[in-house]
Amino acid sequence: MTNKEILYGLYNDEEILLRAVDAAKAAHIDIWDVFTPFPVHGLDPKLGLAESRLHIAGFVYGLIGTLTAFLSMSWIFTRDWPIIFGGKPYWSVPAFIPITFELTVLFASIGMVVSFYIVNGQGPGITNPVLDDRITDDKFCIAFDVAGASEEQLDGLKKFFSNTGASEVNTKVLPVR
Amino acid sequence: MDNFKFESRHKSVLLGGIVLGVVCLLLTYFTDDALHTRFWTNYLHNASFLTGVSLMSMFTLSAFLVAQAGWYTYFKRVWEAMSQFMIVGLVLMIPVVLGVYFGWHHLYHWADASEVAKDEILQHKSSFINPMWYTIASVGVVFLWWFLANRFRALSIKQDNNPSINNGEHRKQITIAAAFLPIAGFTSALVIWQWIMSIDAHWYSTLFAWYAAVSWFVTALCITVLLLIFLKGRGYYPKINTSHLHDLGKYVFAFSVFWTYLWFDQFMLIWYANVGEETVYFQTRRDEFPLLFFGNLIINFLLPFFILMRNDTKRKVGSMAFVCIVLIFGHWLDYFLMIKPGAMHTAHAAMGHGHHGAEHAADHGHGAAEAIGHAAEHGSAMLAGFHYPGLLDLGTFIGFLSLFLFVTLTHLARVPLVAKNDPYAEESVHHHIEPPYSEIF
Repeated sequence: MTNKEILYGLYNDEEILLRAVDAAKAAHIDIWDVFTPFPVHGLDPKLGLAESRLHIAGFVYGLIGTLTAFLSMSWIFTRDWPIIFGGKPYWSVPAFIPITFELTVLFASIGMVVSFYIVNGQGPGITNPVLDDRITDDKFCIAFDVAGASEEQLDGLKKFFSNTGASEVNTKVLPVR
Repeated sequence: MDNFKFESRHKSVLLGGIVLGVVCLLLTYFTDDALHTRFWTNYLHNASFLTGVSLMSMFTLSAFLVAQAGWYTYFKRVWEAMSQFMIVGLVLMIPVVLGVYFGWHHLYHWADASEVAKDEILQHKSSFINPMWYTIASVGVVFLWWFLANRFRALSIKQDNNPSINNGEHRKQITIAAAFLPIAGFTSALVIWQWIMSIDAHWYSTLFAWYAAVSWFVTALCITVLLLIFLKGRGYYPKINTSHLHDLGKYVFAFSVFWTYLWFDQFMLIWYANVGEETVYFQTRRDEFPLLFFGNLIINFLLPFFILMRNDTKRKVGSMAFVCIVLIFGHWLDYFLMIKPGAMHTAHAAMGHGHHGAEHAADHGHGAAEAIGHAAEHGSAMLAGFHYPGLLDLGTFIGFLSLFLFVTLTHLARVPLVAKNDPYAEESVHHHIEPPYSEIF
C-alpha cells in the first residue's frame, strides 16, 4: 500500500476553474483530478472524460425489469394460479401493463444506482479520503499527483496556481486502497 | 440577419399548398355522399387540429415564462408567430358553428333537435352539449385565447425598445401567462369536448381532453423543430445550437410517452372498471379501423420512443426532422381516428338507415352515395376518407398546413427574429446542456 502525494489548489468560482483547466492543458501539465461541489458544464470535455456508459446499463436493467414483470405475471395468471378477475380472461395484457412499466422503472433505477456505487467504489461503510471538506461546499479544486516530483516541479505547479487565481494551495497525503 | 424575410418563392410554394387544399376540399364536396360527411369531417379535423397547435405554442410560452425558463428565449418569436394562427382558426370554425344552427352538416348527433327529443342520453347532456355552448367554445373561448396571445406578443415586441433592467413588459407578460395557464387548461377541455368528443355524442371520457390536447402539444413542438431547422438552414438564428435542439427533442420524446400514457389509460380505466357502455368507442375503432388504431400506437409511440431514446438522435437534424415529420402526420391520423368513426355513424343514421341499417339494403332507393356510406359503416368495404386517409384528405391537410405556415411566417417576418431586452435573452444564447458543444446542428 503506497500513499499518494497530492498538491491541490482551491478556486472560488467555476469560471476561474475552467480557465485554469485550459491553462493546465496549454502548459501540458497532467491533472490528477478535479473536484467541484456541483456538475460544472463544460468540464468533462476539457478533461477528456469519455461519455458514461451508465445509461446503456440502465436500458439493459429496464429491459430485464420489463421481461421479469411481464413473463412472471403471464406465468402466474395462466399456469400457476389462474383467477378470474371481473370476468376478464386469464391472460389480460392491459392489466399487466402498469405493473410492467413500474418494474421497468424500478429495475432500471435500482440497477443504475447499485452499478454507480460499485463502479465508484462507494457504498455503506466505505469512507473515501477527502482532500478538503470545502470542495463539497463552495470551493473548486484542481489536484496534481506530485509523488516523486522535484522541488522545481513543485515550485512550477505552485506558480501555476498563483497565476490562475487559486485562493489557496495545499498538499495532502492520501492513503491509496 | 435581424428580420426574417418571407421570400416570394416560399410564399408561392405555400400559396400553391393552399390552392391544393381548396381544390381538394371542393373535389371532396362534389364527390361526397348526400350529407357531405367527408367534406365536413375533413374541414373540422384540420381546422380544429391546427387551431389547437396554435393554442399549444402560446401555452408553451406561458408555461416556460412562469417557470422562469431561459433557454427558449432566443427563438420565442417563432412560438409567438405560431400563436397568432388562433384568430384564423376562429374564422375557419365559423362555418362549422353556423352549420350547427342551420343543419348544413351532420357532424353532431346532438345538433338535430328531433334526434335529441327521442334520445334520453342526449337530453341529459343538453345543458352543455348544445348549439349555444358550441358557439361559446368555438368563438368566445378561442377569441379569449387569441386576445391573450396577441397582448402577450405585443408586450414582447414593445420590450424590444425598452432597455430598462426593471422592465414592466416582462412583469405584465408574466401576469398574462399566469392567467393564461389556468384559463387555457380548463377551457381547452371545454373546446375539445364540444368540437371533437361530442361527435360521439353518447360517449364520454374524462381523459379525452388531455389526450387530444397532448396530440396538439406534440405537433406544435414538431412544427417548431422543423421551422427552426428551416430557419437555421436559411442562415437565420446563428446562435441556435445542438442543446436547443436536444431540449426540444426531449420534449417531443417526453410528451410522446405522455400521449401513450393517456392513450392507454383512457381505454384501461373503462376496461378495468367494467364501464361496459363506454367500450363501444374502442370496439368500433379496434374492429373497423384496426390499421389506424394500432398504427397510431406504432407511429406516435414506438417510433419516437426508440428513435429519440438515445442522446445523439435528439441532437442531429436528420433524425429529429424525420421523427417530427412522422409525428405531425401521426397526430393528424390520431385526430382522423377521433373524428371519422363517430361522424360516419351519425351521418349514416341521419340518412335514414337508423340503427337497423343492416335490414335496409342499398337498393332502398337512397342513391349510390348513400350506399357507400352504408357499406362503409357495416365493414363490407374499406372506404378512403373514412377507414384510411385518401389523397383528397391528405391534400386538404397540406392545404391547411400551408395556411398555418403562411400565417406563421407572415407574422414572423413583421418583427425582429430575436427578442431584445428580455431578461433571459443572454442566458438563452449560452444554452449548453451537454458536450460536445457544437454551435452548428
